[in-house]
Amino acid sequence: MADRAPHPDTLELRERWGSFAWTPANAEEAKKIVARYPEGRQRSAVMPLLFLAQYQVGAETNTQGWLPIPVIEFVARELDMPVIRVLEVATFYTMYNIAPVGRFHVQVCGTTPCMLRGSDDLLAACKKRGMAKGHTTDDGLWTLTEVECMGNCASAPMVQINDANYEDLTPERLDHVLDELAAGRFPKEGTQDPARHTVEPVGEPTNLAAMMTENHDYRGEW
Amino acid sequence: MGFFSKIFTWWDGATIGTSLWSALNGEQVGTDLAGNRYFRAKKRVKAGQPFAGSERRWVIYAGANDASNVPAEWHGWLHGSVDGVPESRLPPPRVWEADHTPNATGTATAYRPQGALERGGRRAAASGDYEAWSPDA
Amino acid sequence: MPKVTIDGEQIEVPDGATVLQACELAGKEIPRFCYHERLSIAGNCRMCLVEVKPGPPKPQASCALPAAEGQEIRTDSQMVKLAREGVMEFLLINHPLDCPICDQGGECDLQDQSVAYGRGGTRYYENKRAVTEKYMGPLIKTVMTRCIHCTRCVRFSEEIAGVDEIGALYRGESMQITTYLEKAAAHELSANVIDLCPVGALTSRPYAFEARPWELKKTLSIDVSDAVGANIRLDSRGREVLRALPRINDDVNEEWLSDKGRYMVDGLTRRRLDKVWIRKGGKLQAATWLDAFAAIKRAKPGASIAAIAGDVVDCETMFAAKTLLGAMGSTLLEGRQTGMSYPTGNLAAVNFNSTLAGIETADAILIVGSHVRWEAPLVNVRLRKAVKRGAKVFVVGPHWETTFPAEFLGDDAAVVHELPGHVTEALAKAERPAVIVGGAGLAAGVLDAALALDVQRDGWNGFNVLHMAASRMGGLMLGFAQKGGIADIARAEPKVVLALGADEVDWSQFAGSLKVYIGHHGDKGAHAADIILPAAAYSEKDGTYVNTEGRVQFAEKAVFAPGDAREDWTILRALADAFGVRVGFDSLAELQAKMISEVPALGVEGLASYGKLPKAGKTKAKGAIRYPIQDFYLTNPIARASVVMQRCSAELLHGEDLAEAAE
Repeated sequence: MADRAPHPDTLELRERWGSFAWTPANAEEAKKIVARYPEGRQRSAVMPLLFLAQYQVGAETNTQGWLPIPVIEFVARELDMPVIRVLEVATFYTMYNIAPVGRFHVQVCGTTPCMLRGSDDLLAACKKRGMAKGHTTDDGLWTLTEVECMGNCASAPMVQINDANYEDLTPERLDHVLDELAAGRFPKEGTQDPARHTVEPVGEPTNLAAMMTENHDYRGEW
Repeated sequence: MGFFSKIFTWWDGATIGTSLWSALNGEQVGTDLAGNRYFRAKKRVKAGQPFAGSERRWVIYAGANDASNVPAEWHGWLHGSVDGVPESRLPPPRVWEADHTPNATGTATAYRPQGALERGGRRAAASGDYEAWSPDA
Repeated sequence: MPKVTIDGEQIEVPDGATVLQACELAGKEIPRFCYHERLSIAGNCRMCLVEVKPGPPKPQASCALPAAEGQEIRTDSQMVKLAREGVMEFLLINHPLDCPICDQGGECDLQDQSVAYGRGGTRYYENKRAVTEKYMGPLIKTVMTRCIHCTRCVRFSEEIAGVDEIGALYRGESMQITTYLEKAAAHELSANVIDLCPVGALTSRPYAFEARPWELKKTLSIDVSDAVGANIRLDSRGREVLRALPRINDDVNEEWLSDKGRYMVDGLTRRRLDKVWIRKGGKLQAATWLDAFAAIKRAKPGASIAAIAGDVVDCETMFAAKTLLGAMGSTLLEGRQTGMSYPTGNLAAVNFNSTLAGIETADAILIVGSHVRWEAPLVNVRLRKAVKRGAKVFVVGPHWETTFPAEFLGDDAAVVHELPGHVTEALAKAERPAVIVGGAGLAAGVLDAALALDVQRDGWNGFNVLHMAASRMGGLMLGFAQKGGIADIARAEPKVVLALGADEVDWSQFAGSLKVYIGHHGDKGAHAADIILPAAAYSEKDGTYVNTEGRVQFAEKAVFAPGDAREDWTILRALADAFGVRVGFDSLAELQAKMISEVPALGVEGLASYGKLPKAGKTKAKGAIRYPIQDFYLTNPIARASVVMQRCSAELLHGEDLAEAAE
């Protein structure tokens, strides 16, 4: 996290993004978002607007999107607030990319449940493909980030790629997913365990088995 | 150097007595770059006297009798730190070795720091220094 | 009025007080880093933990906890001691142990509090965090590894200065304080964050590695860079003033100081007049005092002698000149150098009557011809406070960047005569309406039009004039004003003109006079002068100053004047001997006694009373308003001589990129 830093504010960057403005559809969306907040509290819309801007940049660059400095300034102008306050928000939340990302932003969860279920192997598999934490590969295809809990602990380990979750991974299953993505196909989201539908117990339920058939009263057994 | 000054002064080179004694009892072992001549006695110090059995060594200066005229390599020989004369035991001088200079304290060529008046008196800035205005500025 | 028990002692505290304030009332010291009386409460340093019952069985941050009826507060229990030690230990985990090379050493909150409340040793052997330096401009030096994230600087620039430029980026351990894109902090109060910083993260760049606080002599003085008269402390070592720091005075400067007042002190050692100069054959040549006095005597002025006071002179100097001229039979005194000629018969009409603290409570403010941010940054702070309380602000004059919402009504002074309907309505409905006339407004002749506005209420006088010169009100009280301004003096064609540090005068109008410059800096006045007598700057003499609200304040002498320079009054006293007249004082004490007997108000520290406002005259305001200050950082001879101020001007106002060159 410490190596996160806004992409340098260069002339080229200004030239590329200086004229950033909402697309008509996003302008409509932004208006709706701002309208959610009471009069005088429009600044509260800074987080959704930053996300919208990130998505729009993503649509333009065919990636998950990121926030160049001129775009951050654009959002500040939209909400009539000091840029430094917007930059504070954008740098605080790691879900805002403040540096360019590749075609696929591979976010490997490294928090305890995923780690216990083998996220280290997933990272190793990513590294084998030439990815490095916090960096984009030279072909512009992959950006690797280690992230904290994504809330999919029941189907750990998991990886989020752009906005899609891939769960119950093993290095082989992850390799398959990445191969598919690289080939331009979109593999099934969610659990990658063929024996699993969502996060139901694998095989037979092991807990509260008696509940399977009836509303069993366990109280006497405590 | 005049004859009389040779008789009556002792502070430049050797007195007549020393010269005579050196010629009779000593043998010259070498000279250094400045022209100082180095002697040793032909005979060892007799038994029963202090430093019995050791070799007497001395120098006759080319100029003023200033002990700092003796370069480091001869200094060691004079004080009995080494046996042989410098040429016999020291490697040839390196290019980066500076020539020996006598102690210049008290002379015009003495070292003075830049704050000294002889060196222009440029001292470091001090509290209370100010830059005065002048109409030309 | 809740009653609380603090360490077994019951006291009553005001409504709305926090537990921390209650403890202070009870005389208990509560350590703190992020809490500051004049800033919003952040509660993020956790140093002020105390034990409070009833409440959760854990220590609580007293700065953010309201005092409530029946609370039992302990500041001396084992739990509190351990909590403080724990917080201190965490703060020191990432704080470098570089006190020996830190400029904050000796006046560092962290240092003091770790001695008082910290553990004796460390248990931390891991690597420490390091943060890259941030560029914050020519005045603020940053060593961000030392930052403990109290966010006082962020809150100051947002709340007090009104310029949102400092922020905290990233999160957790990676949090960093920085300005946006590391641009220089470019407002007039930026250096106050140096005082606020409880550690050595933000220190003074010009003062870096100059001195330790314990080797400095502290002298109480008054800032002369503007007419606010901020209370300052001059820290000097030997014969040099090393820095100026604000003192706390809630009526004047609270605890802030403008960057100019703080950093022009390095100008006190540059371009100094340290010897007598006499113009011979069109060229100034060094001379002796006796030569100079003889030359002035040769001019045989008699009663044809005038005195023009500059912007930074003290009342004593002006009074000595006035007495000298009186003894010669002249009353040609003037202090308004640029030629203004507003009537001064009633000083209430040129005074900041609402008082500086009072303007905070105004609810509708009309500013006429004043770039308040540059002319009096500390008044701007008050205006921002007033606006935060709901005041409406209207400005007549060219646009300037306000730090609060304000409506600009037009550039022409004539607007005052026909104010838009909503403005007159706002002023009429206001409980505490105020008008502030600035120097540009006075020059455009709006005084009468402003007096005609009804801004007086029961117990409230909202008529304000905002001056720019530290000497102005004192000068006016001493009668340094002619009916027609400086033009009257030029018309009198005096044989000798005494310029008391007067650098803004157009000297071409005194071509026929012998111009004697008595001042401390070689500036415009010295270049025009025929005879230069070196005198003392504000740091080098005891003096009385009257600020724009008529507050009489005394400044003390911090250091001696350089070279041959003498205190101004002694020069004028010696001139009296040269002319063979008697002025009736031989010491500063006698001079002050005489001055106070003539103008008693100058003898009492505090607000002078000028009586009621006069009736409005009939002068019509007209013409475009033009602010006199072109460059905030270079308004007086001391600031113009200051390298720091020159650099601020070049970098912050003229956008030169000097950042790299300085490193």
